[in-house]
Amino acid sequence: MTKMRSNRLKIVFMLCLAFVTTGGQHFESKVAQLLQDETEHIKCFVEGKDLTCFWEEEEERNHIHDQYTFTYSYEKKNKMACAVSSLYLLASNKTILFCKLPKTPFFTTLDVQVLRDGRMLYTRSLNAENVLFLDPPRNLTVMSSGKEGQLNVSWLPPLLKYMDDSMIYEVRYAVDGSNMGKVEVIKVSTRLVLLGLQSNTRYKVWVRVKPDGVAYKGYWSAWTEPVFGVTPPSDVDPLIVLLVIFIGLILCLLSLTVILSHHKFLLKKLWPDIPTPEHKFPGLFTVYKGDFKEWMSHNNGSMWGRSVPVYTEELPSPLEVLSEVSLTSHGTSQREERKPVEEDEEKESERSDSGLTDRWRDPPHAHWLMEQLRALQENPESRSQSSLLQSHDTYVTLNQGDNEQQVDDVFEETLPLQTLFTTAGTSSLGTSHSDLGSLQQSSGSGRLSSQSSFEYPNHTWPPKGPGYAYMAVADSGVSMDYSPMSSSRISCTGPIW
Amino acid sequence: MQTFFGLVSVLIVFVWLGGKQVFPLQPICDLRVLDHFVREARDSVVIMRGSRGGCGAMKSYFVPLTSVDFAFWEHIDVQELAVEVQTGLSLLVQALSTAMKAVSNSRLANALDNNISNIHSLSQILHSLDLQHARSTVLPDDSAPASTQTQEVSSLPELLQVQSSFLRGKVRLLLSAAPACQRQNS
Repeated sequence: MTKMRSNRLKIVFMLCLAFVTTGGQHFESKVAQLLQDETEHIKCFVEGKDLTCFWEEEEERNHIHDQYTFTYSYEKKNKMACAVSSLYLLASNKTILFCKLPKTPFFTTLDVQVLRDGRMLYTRSLNAENVLFLDPPRNLTVMSSGKEGQLNVSWLPPLLKYMDDSMIYEVRYAVDGSNMGKVEVIKVSTRLVLLGLQSNTRYKVWVRVKPDGVAYKGYWSAWTEPVFGVTPPSDVDPLIVLLVIFIGLILCLLSLTVILSHHKFLLKKLWPDIPTPEHKFPGLFTVYKGDFKEWMSHNNGSMWGRSVPVYTEELPSPLEVLSEVSLTSHGTSQREERKPVEEDEEKESERSDSGLTDRWRDPPHAHWLMEQLRALQENPESRSQSSLLQSHDTYVTLNQGDNEQQVDDVFEETLPLQTLFTTAGTSSLGTSHSDLGSLQQSSGSGRLSSQSSFEYPNHTWPPKGPGYAYMAVADSGVSMDYSPMSSSRISCTGPIW
Repeated sequence: MQTFFGLVSVLIVFVWLGGKQVFPLQPICDLRVLDHFVREARDSVVIMRGSRGGCGAMKSYFVPLTSVDFAFWEHIDVQELAVEVQTGLSLLVQALSTAMKAVSNSRLANALDNNISNIHSLSQILHSLDLQHARSTVLPDDSAPASTQTQEVSSLPELLQVQSSFLRGKVRLLLSAAPACQRQNS
């Protein structure tokens, strides 16, 4: 039993000590604050329902309590004395003297005085209801309201009777960890909804209180201890989220399908192949590694026999055919030396002796033509008898006829042409020259006259029948590409290009 | 003709009911009304300080005591408090009327007249609280103050200070502690 009683007494003592220390802490903090803010010598405040007045001790004195006297009076009554106490403030290293008025009269003018050694030191007139220094609000709570960006804040007013409707509160809130805060002022009400907050964020909230200044006046209380609250996350409907995800998946699948079905087309459009001229110049890049000169030299011969499309800026000029040439007589002597292909062609030319052919025959190959030239050159008789066509020049002169007179006529006719189209080369009859070689017409059956540049000697040509001398001329503008005329196949009925 | 007599009878009934006061007055417990009067009393002090000759002639005024001891008030009877408040309001009306006649500044005179009207309104408010002994009685000018709960002031500034303190103190506490207002708040 004794142990239980002692334990209970200890508990009660501890509680009282805690209460006193709490109140003492409030008292000391209030004193410290007024020590800085209040300019009067006698600083007074009301805590609860008691008025406390204190002043600062300037000099250290012994027995300070005996020297100071505190008196007060109101409503012209007699002065009353108050007991003086001292307090040492650790934070500011100062000593203050204070007095708590018993039964503090409110709503009346109080005259207080401080006397030291019987002499008045300080004096002041004040109303107690104007110096209220309230305790901080109690039971501060911060809760989520369930709505986005909102917090519900509530608290209880300090324990004071008849003053609940004269309070004004200040709520301060800030994001946890941030120094930037906002302040909201609210009158009388002890609830507040904070709006415009960030979602899913932790906030710190403080509150303090002060009389509203109508019936009671006073100082701002100390801030409460901070209370934390977390705002609810942003309000997103899960159904909407699912729908958005579903639609997104469908769109992705559709786009993938389209891309895969047209990937070639899209690839071609987005990443077109760089055109290369390789197919026009076989072997240029693979064999000769881009060396065009070398490629040209190796492919020079093959180029002549082909019908390569050569583009020229010059417009094709028509070749006027003036006469037919028959080359049957001399041509027979050369037939044996010719190839079978040539015989076929010769036969064809004989068949066409009756008239001008309306078509060009295929030009003979270069090889065959060269052989033809050699044959003609080896045979001087034929040379003397026949007139060789020298194809040094660009143009071929064709003439139909088998006598000198025709030749002369042809000469006369072609002289102006020859003079016009003369080039450097071997010289023979006239002034016409050729670039590439000369061919003499094997058969003297006729003469050639036209715009061609073939020379023909002043030999009589044995008439052979109507024949046509033709040549294929391909003028690339860079080099002259034409095949020498064949004696057995002479036909010109159309323009020579 | 019959309708006319019917209307007349209804009107008579209403007048009778109004005279009998069958419908009680609703208590006015909103302290914002009193706060309005308190602010206007404070305005009179400001006007007085800013006007020439604001102090007026030095004259004695009998005014009520204004001090409030909360420890004492927790044990006091509300009825007794109501009587004290009504008496004090009457004294204030007398003193303000006397001061208004002596003041030359028209603006200050108007402010004092406003204060007198406010005190009359306060009396009606206290009447609405149905305090048995709180009746609106204005003592005549020449009647002597019977209660000892008075004090004497010798200047207009002191008078206005007493008025402000009385309204903020005793009158406000009575309105806060009135049973009719306690029933409304609970």
